[in-house]
Amino acid sequence: MTEGGFADRHARWLFPAPALLFVFALMVFPILYTVWTSLTGWDLGTGRPPTFIGPGNYENLLGDERFRGAIGRTLYFTVIAVGIEVVLGVAIALILNREFRGRRFVTSILLLPMMATPVAIAMVWLLMYEPTAGIVNFVLRSLHLPTPLWIAGAESVIPALALVDIWEWTPMVVLITLAGLASLPSDPFEAAAIDGASTLQSIRLITLPLLVPTIVVATLLRLIDALKTFDIIYTMTGGGPGFSSETLNVFSYQQAFQYFSFGYASSVLVVFFAIVLSISLVFTYVRREPPSRLAVADGRR
Amino acid sequence: MLHPSRAAIAALTALSVIGTACSSGTPAPGASGSGGKPYAGTTIRVLGANHPWADALKPLLPDFEAKTGIKVNLEQYGEDQLTQKLTTEFTAGSSDIDAFMQRPLQEAKLHQQNGYYQDLNTYFKDSNKTPADYEVNDISKAALGTEAVGDVLTGVPIVVEAEVLYYRKDLLQAAGLSVPKTLDELKAAAAKLTDKSKEQYGFVARGQRSPAVTQFSSFLYSYGGDWFDLKTKKASIDTPEFIQAVTFYGSLLRDYGPPGVLNMSFPQAAAIVSQGKAAMYTDANSIYQLMLDPKQSQVADKMGVAPFPAGPKGANMYNVTSWGLSMYAKAPHKDAAWEFIKWATSKEIVIKTQATGAVPGARKSAFDDPQGKSKFPADWSAAAAASGGGRGYDRPLIVQVQKGRDIIGDVITTSIQGGDIAGAAKKAQVEFQALLDSEK
Amino acid sequence: MAAARTDAHERAAVPTQTVRLRLGPVVRFLTIAVILTFFLAPFLWMLLNSFKTPIEVITLPPKLVFEPTTANYENVFQSQNFGRYLVNSIVVGAGSVGIGLLIGLPAAYSIAKWDQRGVATAILLARIVPGITLLVPLFILFRQVHLVDTFASLILTHALVGLPFIVTVMVPFFKGIPVELEEAARIDGATLLQTLRKVILPISGPGIVTAAILAFVFSWNNFMFSVVLATNQTKTVPVAIYNFISYAQVDWGGLMAAAVVITLPVLVLALGTQRYIVSGLTAGAVKG
Repeated sequence: MTEGGFADRHARWLFPAPALLFVFALMVFPILYTVWTSLTGWDLGTGRPPTFIGPGNYENLLGDERFRGAIGRTLYFTVIAVGIEVVLGVAIALILNREFRGRRFVTSILLLPMMATPVAIAMVWLLMYEPTAGIVNFVLRSLHLPTPLWIAGAESVIPALALVDIWEWTPMVVLITLAGLASLPSDPFEAAAIDGASTLQSIRLITLPLLVPTIVVATLLRLIDALKTFDIIYTMTGGGPGFSSETLNVFSYQQAFQYFSFGYASSVLVVFFAIVLSISLVFTYVRREPPSRLAVADGRR
Repeated sequence: MLHPSRAAIAALTALSVIGTACSSGTPAPGASGSGGKPYAGTTIRVLGANHPWADALKPLLPDFEAKTGIKVNLEQYGEDQLTQKLTTEFTAGSSDIDAFMQRPLQEAKLHQQNGYYQDLNTYFKDSNKTPADYEVNDISKAALGTEAVGDVLTGVPIVVEAEVLYYRKDLLQAAGLSVPKTLDELKAAAAKLTDKSKEQYGFVARGQRSPAVTQFSSFLYSYGGDWFDLKTKKASIDTPEFIQAVTFYGSLLRDYGPPGVLNMSFPQAAAIVSQGKAAMYTDANSIYQLMLDPKQSQVADKMGVAPFPAGPKGANMYNVTSWGLSMYAKAPHKDAAWEFIKWATSKEIVIKTQATGAVPGARKSAFDDPQGKSKFPADWSAAAAASGGGRGYDRPLIVQVQKGRDIIGDVITTSIQGGDIAGAAKKAQVEFQALLDSEK
Repeated sequence: MAAARTDAHERAAVPTQTVRLRLGPVVRFLTIAVILTFFLAPFLWMLLNSFKTPIEVITLPPKLVFEPTTANYENVFQSQNFGRYLVNSIVVGAGSVGIGLLIGLPAAYSIAKWDQRGVATAILLARIVPGITLLVPLFILFRQVHLVDTFASLILTHALVGLPFIVTVMVPFFKGIPVELEEAARIDGATLLQTLRKVILPISGPGIVTAAILAFVFSWNNFMFSVVLATNQTKTVPVAIYNFISYAQVDWGGLMAAAVVITLPVLVLALGTQRYIVSGLTAGAVKG
């Protein structure tokens, strides 16, 4: 690096500078602003100005049943959605992990749900879930199975919304697992084959343990996104029936844009952000694990 | 390492450069004004709802633009989205909105509290701005009253509505029933007209948490209940009248309503009716077009409209101003915006919007005009007339209306689901009282 | 050289012969058929109903053979003005991808070359933060700099959505480029910028395409930023379809036609560039 112009000498900070400035203006500033707002009583409803009040909003959160309910529903939705996505996704990946005719076609189909616009997809599921005129209940009725109310029932709404998420994002787990499978070393399997292990045995004893790092990464990626699910819930139920599908994201949206309690809404958002951030930190930690554990997930090593 | 504040300044500068490059020039107001068109060349920004009134007004805008030289940029959004958009823009401090559609009962107090409205009294009282032929007195006093917050006139009423009973003439006749005049008759008829195995439901109404509140109000009033005492500011959600009314509404929908009613606001409920699946439906008379228009309804020729049935304490339906047209306090083109509001609420235009959009307006003369009343069937008009003395509010008269609706709506949805009504009402009473106290 | 940077998809396309389920061919065929049906059914249902009249949509049992009508599509393009919103979405998508690449490529290169973890974390934070957190402050910020009613506000926020994807895809890509290539150029006296322009960028095509497609798709699909920041003039397609359900009765046929119009472009894009997308989506997950 003896020669070269200004750019060469300062490339280390010049190159990332625009992106950092951009991220600072559009994200770091808003986050700091939100943290500050959460310490004010800013509320158009009560006419309180954005003046500092300390941790009052957070104290109110502790006693707010709707907030506690929203946390519970967020976790409920996330756990069933991500849980099923991971189990189903890994299973489908194991089935697809061999050469057969039309394999490429199947992988293409899998791409579609996650690429399709969520709001548009929400409309389609709305029509399919329609209790009287919908195809889902028609099929169930024809098979003499019970017909739930889906998103129109207080008990069934979260599982019904989770099913939409499962439809959208299981393919993501499939693709990640397939990539992980492709990078597994072949020696253990050859050894197992020599020892006469059955397919299921070698999956249980060799494949799955080797896949653990990949599965963990896929799970964490899905967790971060599932916690933040907004489009399908907001457009399909708006948090209803009653408050039965009001997750943290929808709750904070209501507080901010329906009640205009900006201070209170900000405190919800700070808590929400903290939850997502801590899961992401786990994610970062797992990814920085000693290479010995993660190497198997990386095909190039 | 960059100093954070310096980075922020740099970012802001960069953004404002892009901003200058992208913002379009607005012509100076009145710059090219000639005698009859003092505001020619002005462009005003108007925010409206996805509402038949706005749809009916839209094709008339070129007339206004030709007459005044004012260009109108009308943006339309869904109801909630409109409220959200208005508030976010106003909150940000400086918006270039000139005029906007507003729901006086939903947001007038809130917006007035935050100083978002231009007091339109100043325009009404100025004979230079409002000539005599505008005929302010032709506009319903009650409707104007709804628009007033203290001494401030927050908007000019554009849509008035009352809760009515929509019913299927053919189904009632076939069952040998007359049109229900009381809520008890309504329940008996609903029971008789329900055959769930054939997907035939006796009754439908809104079951969605917040939208249900306004259409439940007539039931509440007719049972002798109310949201709270206006004088003492004491909530009355746990009173026997409220419990009776909400139990009645809930069981009606649970026993005789379609599945999925908990997710229904008026578009979904009206769809059930126009698909021929429900025999009776209570909702605002302003949405009758959804069921009586053959293009949208399979049962258009079989629909009847009747006044809201009487409860134990009489027929106390709501009769309210549901929409008004307002001016933003910091509107960049106030006088041009007033020209627009004046035009849109003039006799001539109200008659036209009633004739093409079938939206009931606030001018008496428009209902006397043959063209102005042409879209309204005789039984619709009779029901509207019978609702004349109805109550002027369909939701609690408070500032934080949406919060209040959500609290009360929870009791309604609990009742529809057959849950613990008394418990839900008690909880709502506490929350609603706290809300009232916060506004004292 | 290209082979050295085999992407995740290509690795997945050649399954290891070591792990496989030895299900009977029939069972396997049926399982795959069930999986395909599950993931395809909503699309087929959307397509089918978009050609039905309002009454046919809610008729049960559903008619599978019917006389298709194009009335829903005419409604979507004429009275609902979707042509305009499609153009808006393309403008916002292209603009945000442009900005995202402009600032994301140098950043990704820098992260890859000098292992700048802090920079990487700051950018990836955009993937983590809940969008609502940013809405009110961003609105106030954009108002201050007069960007609210412009495409710029949408383009900038959508660029924020796309930036982490661009960086996630490009960092491992740049890391995969052999150092020798760059060093050879530098010995020949090229400056860093020249090396970038003449050596690095020309062989980065596949990576950039992947990053651009992903960023574009996530901009196209974005609802939350658009619903608050878009006006009538700048409305993108997800907001347009959401507006479709506000007043009047639920017009299922029209909704389904709108859904087809919105999703078709991204689906075609996804299928056409399949190999890139798969590698892009799995890039952050499997590679270190």
